[in-house]
Amino acid sequence: MAAPSPDLAAAVRVRLFAALRERAGWGERLVPLEASLTSAADLWHRLALDDGPVADAGVLSPSIRVAINQAFAAPDTPLRPGDEVAFLPPITGG
Amino acid sequence: MQTPSPGHPIVVQLLEAPFQPLELLAVWQRSLGPAATAAESHFIGRVRPTTATGAPLETLELEHYPGMSEAQLRALAETCATRHGAGAVLVAHRVGRIGPGEAIVLVAVQADRRGPALRCVQELLEDLKHHAPFWKREWSGGSGTWVAGNTPL
Repeated sequence: MAAPSPDLAAAVRVRLFAALRERAGWGERLVPLEASLTSAADLWHRLALDDGPVADAGVLSPSIRVAINQAFAAPDTPLRPGDEVAFLPPITGG
Repeated sequence: MQTPSPGHPIVVQLLEAPFQPLELLAVWQRSLGPAATAAESHFIGRVRPTTATGAPLETLELEHYPGMSEAQLRALAETCATRHGAGAVLVAHRVGRIGPGEAIVLVAVQADRRGPALRCVQELLEDLKHHAPFWKREWSGGSGTWVAGNTPL
């Protein structure tokens, strides 16, 4: 099997918002897909987006919602190259 | 005003500048033509003058997810109107920096009876507060605090 290509076609665009964005210090980046990185939950773990060292480090909290291509999605949805994956902190609209 | 979609005529507007809810309502009503429905319900939400901890609020900052916020508001409105058998729906929501007392959200629903009109406005308001990608940050004393959750109904 060929090694994952680092080009944009084999990557996903990751976006963070509000408190999550400020905590991470970035709002958008491209992440190459690879064998061990196939879902939003994997991305959360890989990018170390947790709030400090906790017992369940790397596990996506139920309070964080996932959107894929701007629609809500389950964290274990398989990602496809070119997807836009967003992690959304608790919503406070209206 | 944009052309309403087929099916339920739904208008969604994200506004970066202050707006007058009654003026927006009047424009929306005119856009729907001369035949007014028997029932029409409205909700106007304004920014409180204090923060969640009771401090004086300088500004409320509203962040959103451009693209998804519009699409999600439209989908929520469509679902709500279908569930209640309502007709035309208007949702206007401010983004950016909003001053105390300024309007932040306007929801209007037309129906042929008061029940669907009132219920759809209330449900759509709750839906958008929890399921449309908006985040509030309260500015007070020169520092900003992300709001942890919605106020009680």
